[in-house]
Parts: sequence; structure tokens; C-alpha cells
Amino acid sequence: MAPMSQPASRPRVLIVDDDADIRAGLAEVFERAGFKAATAGDVAAMERALAASGADLIVLDLMMPGEDGLSACKRLSGRGGPPIIMLSALGDDADRIVGLEIGADDYLAKPCNPRELVARARAVLRRAQEGDAGSPADAVRFAGFRLDIARRELHDPDGVVIPLSAGEFRLLRAFVERHGRVLSREQLLDYAFDNDAEVFDRAVDVQVSRLRRKLERPGGAEIIRTVRGEGYLFVVKPSP
Amino acid sequence: MTREGLPIAAYLAMLVALALGAAFVAVFAIVIWLPPRPPDVMRADIVADQFEAGYTHARETGEVLRGDGMAWRLQREPPRSGHAPHMHATHMHLARQLALAPEQVRVDASRVARSDVLVFRVREMRSHMPGHQAEVIIDRRRRAPEAGEETPGEETRSQFEIRIPEPPPRVEATPPVPPAPPIPPTGPPMFAPAPPGVVLVAGFEIAAQLPDGRWLVMRQGRNWDELGWIASAATIIGAALAVLSVLALLFARRLTRPIRNFSDAVQAVGVDPQSEPVREEGPSELRGAARAVNTMQARLRALIADRTKTLAAVAHDMRTPLMRLRLAAENAPAEQRERMAKEIGEVEALVASFIAFARDDPAEEARVRLDLSALLQSIADDHTAGGRNVSFAETERTVVTGQSLGLRRLFANLVDNALKYGATARIALQRSDGVVLVDVEDDGPGIPAEERESVFEPFVRLNHGASGAGLGLAAARAIARAHGGDIVIIETPRGAKFRVTLPE
Repeated sequence: MAPMSQPASRPRVLIVDDDADIRAGLAEVFERAGFKAATAGDVAAMERALAASGADLIVLDLMMPGEDGLSACKRLSGRGGPPIIMLSALGDDADRIVGLEIGADDYLAKPCNPRELVARARAVLRRAQEGDAGSPADAVRFAGFRLDIARRELHDPDGVVIPLSAGEFRLLRAFVERHGRVLSREQLLDYAFDNDAEVFDRAVDVQVSRLRRKLERPGGAEIIRTVRGEGYLFVVKPSP
Repeated sequence: MTREGLPIAAYLAMLVALALGAAFVAVFAIVIWLPPRPPDVMRADIVADQFEAGYTHARETGEVLRGDGMAWRLQREPPRSGHAPHMHATHMHLARQLALAPEQVRVDASRVARSDVLVFRVREMRSHMPGHQAEVIIDRRRRAPEAGEETPGEETRSQFEIRIPEPPPRVEATPPVPPAPPIPPTGPPMFAPAPPGVVLVAGFEIAAQLPDGRWLVMRQGRNWDELGWIASAATIIGAALAVLSVLALLFARRLTRPIRNFSDAVQAVGVDPQSEPVREEGPSELRGAARAVNTMQARLRALIADRTKTLAAVAHDMRTPLMRLRLAAENAPAEQRERMAKEIGEVEALVASFIAFARDDPAEEARVRLDLSALLQSIADDHTAGGRNVSFAETERTVVTGQSLGLRRLFANLVDNALKYGATARIALQRSDGVVLVDVEDDGPGIPAEERESVFEPFVRLNHGASGAGLGLAAARAIARAHGGDIVIIETPRGAKFRVTLPE
């Protein structure tokens, strides 16, 4: 928990929702988790708050009177604003994909576990701080493959969709975003697995070998290299 | 082509007119361009000379002549004698020449004409083939019959154009045939009266008894010129037919291509209402149909938009209070919080399944080529990561064409269903005969035979204590069918086994 004596380290989150109870409840949850929370009831208020004090992260409702969350998200991500987590009553995969494609950094469906929301917020902030992954591209290409971030799908060189499990997707995304660096099993566990899930180093190895099999093509180049005693290295350089 | 297009009837009328036109051109070409068909008419005196030569040859060698354009044969029985009054002179002449009694000579001819009344159009001389086959062509012009003579036979009604070879020198002729009138060797056809007394004969058979008692019979041989004529006529007809079939093919394509395009476009609209509108082209009937389909598609789109809006509003109105509750639960003591969260989760799952079922439009998502075994593996992995017992017997890469989210929901629903009634789910993938079979098996109590269809109906739950609205299997089957496949329940010793078939 971040104590009050370190205000500079408290990330500022702006919660945008048309429902007052949800605004208040989320603000409380974030404050309790060590964030500095501000709220806005609609997009216009959000713009005013951003102009007045800025924010490190926006939690944005999708359906609001006036301008809706999607168009606000599009505008914000278009001008390089803070990362956005969409919190929406539309929970379908299709809705999630639309949200991510439009520029949201993450997408959660209501009702969500508030602690999961906070965990995702931390993950998004960490990605943003790591620089190059600040605003995620819709898709990343490497070795003929294309990883569709929003759809969480891998397209192989023939254009065939290779579905990934949630773990494989997170693992591959971690690799792609940190290509050229040796990642230890602990790091991979941290990046690619839910914090609360009970996983062990062995699980990382299993997951990596699964992923390798999905990336395996006859005559294809090595993509994920094992570095003995250290971890794994994503060898190919991805391009947007 | 006008904007409105022609009706199909007009196309058909055009095609019929085209066919008639081609047939007419072919007939016209045969009648006008081809010389008239050469009849097998020969001069009787020359025929007699030829028989005489052949008879002499047969008498001396015992062999029949070959290769002179006649069909010779020897036989024991005398041939039937015909009645050909105009051939009487020829008959008597032959008997005299061969030194035989008249009854030892038989002359028969199916068509005989006295040529005095005919006009010959002389085209060319064929002196190198003395008198073998007079090339006679029917001419439409008629000359007034001379001396009121009418010759028997069908030729009386027409006239001949004949290329008369020079008559060979004759020893003796009865009746004597005067030399043919002077004929220019080439040049434009000219007309000349037939030499008087010439008898033209066709379809003849002449026979005479040899000294050994056998009969030598000479029949008129095959008229090769006629075959040539038939070949020319056949070429013209064939050419007309070829041209006509090419035209008909082009025509048919022109007529059917818009129909095919139309059916493809309508199919696309049926699969995806957001697809391109049907192009209005081709015959006017088709344009009308295309307009109707486009109107229908627009209405369908409006309906879908309405439904999407309604569902979004419903989702918002139901989930906002759930979210409030969930946030309120955060302030409750830990134990209560978990219980509340669980209840809220269950209500949310119900809401989600209603909305998913109501908005479920298997047509909406685009189809992609997808590795089905990787999909099944990822579903099993996701469950395994959540601590549930779902296994997938790994197979080689199996690519199907389908909706990525739709297929995921299909199999996820089946696995969820399996885990609702049993503790484990096993997924197996196999290919057979162009279809892909995916079996999802659980170790639950199984499904009674009489329930095996009704479980796929919406809101049907076997175990009323079970959570969920009973929409998962209905949605799964709808997705499978939208992919051209199906889901059935397979007999199995224990548990339930759902088999999904998908076209490869």
C-alpha cells in the first residue's frame, strides 16, 4: 500500500461513468488501492478534468448520455492521451474486440471484480511506463505471423487463425513487447499469469512449449530461444 | 443495354431469331452457293459402250472389271428384267453388239429421260473421263418443250445443266448419235440444246449372259461427285451449327451470368446482411428481383440495428445495478463479500447468456480459416488454468473455415455444459470424409434417450438445480448449423457425448 507520505508515487486515475454510485464505489476501491482517484459524470466533464489536472489512467464507461465512451476513447488515444481501461455493460467478445481495436488498453465487462480492475489498471500503467508498449499497436508482425492484440489471435503466414489460450496470448504478448531481452521464468510468471493463480516455473515451461508448437512451421526460423539457466529469449524482431 | 434491361422473353425471342437466321443462312448457302446436287445421270449410249467393254473383258478373262466406276458382278440367276421403254434401242443395240439374243441381255433403269426436251448448260469438258458420268445439274430455267414432247420420269419437270463429255468414237450407234454441239472448254456456262436422241439414264442395271451361262451384271456405281456435294452441304450445315452454338453459348452466358451473380449475391445477403447490395443487372425480371432483395436487406439491417440498440440498453440497465451491488459488496466482511460476489456472478452469467442468445446472429461475424485443433487446445488450456479438468487429445493441425468467436463460443458452451453435469470434459478431434468431428464427452449422469433432442431447445435444463438459463446448447447448435454442420448426441456407456460435425 502506498502511504500518504509519498503522494508523487500515487498514480492518478480518472473514473468516467454516468452512474454516481459506481463512480463513488470505484473511486473508493482505487483510493484504497493507493491510487489518487478523480471522477467525471460524462465525457465533457472528463475533458475538463483532464485539462485541469491530467491523469495517468482513465477508467471509461462505454454507454453514457452525450458522447459515448467509444468515440471519446478513439479521440483520446488518437491524440496520445493517457491509457484507457474500458468498463462496459457490453461484455461480449465482439464488444471487447471493438473496444480494444478502437484504442482502449484493456477492456472489462460490468460487473467486474473491483480488485481485478485494480490489477489490470496496474498492468496497463506498467506497460505504459515501459515506454515502447505505451500505446499498443492493433497488431504486431514477426516472422510472417501476425498477432492481433485486440482479438487475441495469431495469424500464421498462410493467413490461418491460430487461436491462443489466455495464457499463451499473454505470454506471447510479453515476449513480443520485450523482444531481444532474455526473460526469466519469474518475469514471465509476473507478466503472463494472473497474480492470484497458483503457477510454478514448470507451468511457464509447459506454456512456452505449447506456444512454440503453435509457432512451429516446417523450415521456419527459431522464434523463442531457450537460454540455459536464465530463461527465454524472443529472437525475431517484431514490426507493427 | 438499357438501364431497365430486356425481359427474358426478349432474350429468348432473340435467341430463336438467331437460330432461325443461322438455319436460313445455311439453307440459303446450300441452295445458292453450292451447285445443285448432281444426279446420277449418264448417257445411255455411253453406258452401253461401257458394258460392252466390260462384257468383252469378262468373256476373255472370266474376271469382272474393276475401277471403272461401275459395280460388276457375276451371278447364276438372270437378274430381274425391268420395263424401260426408252432403253429398248439400247437393249437391241447391245444384243447386236454382243452377238446375243435379246433375251440374253437385260436392261433395267429406274429413271430414263429423253434428252431432246432438255437444255444443257455446258460448264466444262471432261474429255479425260470419256463419258463415265455425265455431270448433270438441275437448272431452274425451263425451256418450252420442243415438239410437244413430254418425257417420262421426274426429270420432266426440271431441266438439266449438264457437263457433257465428248462422246467417244462409236463403231455403230442405234440410233446414231450426232456429235455434240461445239462446246468451249472453259468460260461462263452456256446453253446448248441436247444432242437429239440422247437418252439419259440413272439407277440402271445391265446384264448379259456369258458363254458359260452365268450372267454378268453391271450396276451404276457410287456417284462420287454426289458424295462431294453432300460433303460440301454438310460443311455448310456444320459451320452454321458451329457458329450458332458459339452464339448460343455466348447468349446463354450473357443471360445466366447475371442470374448466377444474383444467386451468389442473395446467398451472401442471407449469410451476412451487411454484405454489398445486389447489383441490378441483366434481364428486367432479374433487376426487379434484385431491387426487392436490396429493399429486404435494408429492412433487415434496420431491424438488426434496432435489436442491437435494444440489447445494449437492456445490458446497460441490468448490469449497472449489478456493478453497484458488486462495489457495495466490497465494503462487506470478507466472507459475505465472497458469497455476494458469487451470487452476482451467477446473475451476471444469466444476463450474459440471455443477451448472447438474443443478439446471437451467427451471420454477423466474418469467416476466417482457423486451426480448429489450436482452438480446442486453447479452450482446454483456459479451463485447466482455472483448475478444471478439461483435456484435449492433441491432433495435427486441422484448418476449417468459420467464425473465430462463434466457434470458440460453440465449443466453450459444450465444455461448460459438460462441466455443469460432470467433473471432467474430454475433447477429441477427428477427420473423416471431408468433415471434421469434434466429440465433447463428460462423466456426468448422461442424457436420457427421450431428452436428446429437447436439450437443444432454449431454456431446457435437465438438472433444475443447475445454474444457467439453458441456452448454451441451443446457441451452440445454432452456431454449428450456421457453419453448415450440426451437433448430435452420441450413445455412450456413461456420461454424455456431444458430437459436432463441421465441413472441412
